[in-house]
Amino acid sequence: MKKAHVSRRKFLKGALATAVAAPALLRAGGAKAGPEEDRIVKASKKYGKASLNGMMWALYWRNYPRLNTEFKGLTGISMDQVNDVPNLLIPQRAMAEAISRSGKFDIFHVESMMIPSLVAAGLVEPLDGYMKEAGFKLEMVGNFASFMKYQDVTYALPTDGNVCPQFIRKDLFENPDEQKNFADKHGKPLKWPETWEDELEIMKFFHRPDKELFGFGGLRDKENSSFWYWMYLYSAGGFPFSDDAEPTLTTPAAEYAADTFLARKQVSHPEAAAWGSPQMIPRIVEGKIFSAQYWDGIIARIEGSPTPTTGKWLYGVPPGSKFSGRLIKRAFSAPVMGLIVNKLSPRKKQAAMWSLYMTTAKNSTEVVAHPTMTFHDPWHPVHMTAPEVEKVYGGKAGMESIRKSLLVTTPPPYVTGYQEFKEAVDKNLSEAYAGRKSGKQAIKDAQEEWGKIVKKIGKARIKKEIPYYKAMMPKMDVPT
Amino acid sequence: MTASATETAAGTGAAPARGSRSRGIRIFKWTLLTPLFSLFFFLMPVFLLQLYFSLHSWTIYLSSWWDADYAGFDLFREVLTESRFYWAFARSFLFAGLSTVGCFIIGFGLALLMYRPFRGHSVFYVLFILPMLTVPIVISYTADMLLFRSGPINDIMSFLAGTEIRFTWLANPNFAIFTIIMLEIWNWTPFAFIIMLAGLSSLPAEPVEAARILGASRLRIFWEIQIPLLRPVIFLALILRFLEAMAEFPKTWGLLQGGPGTSTETIPVYLYIVTWRAFNVSKGAAASYLVMLLMIVIILSAIYVLRREKKALDALYEKPAGGGEA
Repeated sequence: MKKAHVSRRKFLKGALATAVAAPALLRAGGAKAGPEEDRIVKASKKYGKASLNGMMWALYWRNYPRLNTEFKGLTGISMDQVNDVPNLLIPQRAMAEAISRSGKFDIFHVESMMIPSLVAAGLVEPLDGYMKEAGFKLEMVGNFASFMKYQDVTYALPTDGNVCPQFIRKDLFENPDEQKNFADKHGKPLKWPETWEDELEIMKFFHRPDKELFGFGGLRDKENSSFWYWMYLYSAGGFPFSDDAEPTLTTPAAEYAADTFLARKQVSHPEAAAWGSPQMIPRIVEGKIFSAQYWDGIIARIEGSPTPTTGKWLYGVPPGSKFSGRLIKRAFSAPVMGLIVNKLSPRKKQAAMWSLYMTTAKNSTEVVAHPTMTFHDPWHPVHMTAPEVEKVYGGKAGMESIRKSLLVTTPPPYVTGYQEFKEAVDKNLSEAYAGRKSGKQAIKDAQEEWGKIVKKIGKARIKKEIPYYKAMMPKMDVPT
Repeated sequence: MTASATETAAGTGAAPARGSRSRGIRIFKWTLLTPLFSLFFFLMPVFLLQLYFSLHSWTIYLSSWWDADYAGFDLFREVLTESRFYWAFARSFLFAGLSTVGCFIIGFGLALLMYRPFRGHSVFYVLFILPMLTVPIVISYTADMLLFRSGPINDIMSFLAGTEIRFTWLANPNFAIFTIIMLEIWNWTPFAFIIMLAGLSSLPAEPVEAARILGASRLRIFWEIQIPLLRPVIFLALILRFLEAMAEFPKTWGLLQGGPGTSTETIPVYLYIVTWRAFNVSKGAAASYLVMLLMIVIILSAIYVLRREKKALDALYEKPAGGGEA
């Protein structure tokens, strides 16, 4: 085998050329800092250099190294150690940190629904002071910024909107033959579903399991069931607590939501009860699903690079419900990922500044518009019109569906003990979906479990949180 | 030298030897006991802390553990009145019981095939222990892909049966736990295989040879000589595997997180949900204490059975000699 020979002369020449070209290449790679970034840099300098230690899933971290290097060059502050922990496990790891109180981690990249529990655990640093100092304004589409706050204090900075718009197969939906057949069968034209009942009717029409096409592609496994349930509940005008912190999961609206949830079983894949995103996303991308409310990153996955269904989807706002007497449309965003600063860290000031820098309009646009990774989904008003984001998300239609869905997006229960409340609903809905109990029984059992959780956490605490949870609800019934 | 003089001389020489021997035994005892005591003192804080948690009401985000309210036996009562706990226990028993039997039968069968050396023996040996070397969480993700309705397992079954089989392995709440039991059997059969192979290899050849000379059939030799001699090893394999299976978590969690519904929620899954989803450390500690108590009962029973088997085996070995004298 021929051995490659590199002489010392060649090596030195190469090194010299790299040294000369590198700064120019680095400059070309990144955009010039804007006034907001300049203010953050200026404010950061007085805190001195710091080597930060964060906890973030590698799939999210991938979009940050360039900005991290840039911020290090400007301030001496950088994230030098990143603990690669998947999203679903970070709440547990953060809670473990709340027990150990080691101050070892500076930043947690965690779902914002954990804020009340993490605040109660004494782990989270309020960020408003730093934001004011750096002249940073938290801007998110519609009422979405409330997801980052708890009792009017900002505790997180967003990185991923994670809203679920409506997906409908364009090639089937707009097919003249299909439209005619639908009109013949139902005596009305095939049009974009306004309500959950409309959606079900259309999904039934297109549900063709013998051809490996399934009407509905939402998740129904034990980990994710409740996300869809909240959307149905809120759109029916329901809310899971009374103002007095009593669980209200057995109201007519809650029953309607459970029925809507379970009705989709008839048009779902028979294995849906055991499927999470790793199983469902390929089905959506491959065109084996007709309709779904699904995470917006999939739009980029479908439209950003060639797939079997590129250009074959319609995107819009999820259907709504007239159950309350008026049409209400709701989407859901969960988990909304955010950067949370550890209150116990000796480097918390630098960590806060680092987080601010990563989430400015300009820098977050760079993160969201990453050409290959779609884990960071749009949330800032600027993202909605940024050409680079639009390019990644395949054009205006996808972006408009995200913007409109964000205008009516809703959270899971935003109270202390979120994971416990969520688990009780997930478990019971999953039981009902598996045929082990009725929908009515499922919400009755969940209500009973919620009662115990409220008692444990303290009614007074939950009662105090409910007005803030309610304030997170969209300010409009139907987005425009 | 007279006889009495000889006895005296032997007695004076034996006294220091006895002293030295008893000192040696004492040193040997302490050599064994010191690590045991160290282990005991090392583990004690964990048990004491767990006991503290179970008697206090501590949820991570609501207070510091040292500030938690004293709850007495409330949490034990809460766990003991929760049907979810009993169901989880029943599932764990079903899971551990069936998977242990499955592992044992297949492992023993393979050991019977393998305990006499043959050409290529070591290749098969490596192949048979490979599943045990596979990381359980990897098994769960691989199985997830293999067990789709339109996946390779159903395709192979369809090919063999000559008709299309589209069985729902994981999403069927009545069958999901059996799917995980099968994965457990695949994963841990090598464990039973290795133990039984060692047991079979260490059997004395004489009784088998003698029986063969006397004209006993293979089946009779197996049932009446090999099995009785192997009983302690069999019990050891069953007990160790059962205890290990009771603690299985990666496959159950990795595949279904206890779902669909709660159909695969075993005790480890239940404990994880209570402790690290609800962050209710005290309830988790109370539940794990109850589980630990039950496991202690099982272990003590197992030790009793093993001792009884050993005694029976010793008696079996002694019997022919005694019979000869008679």
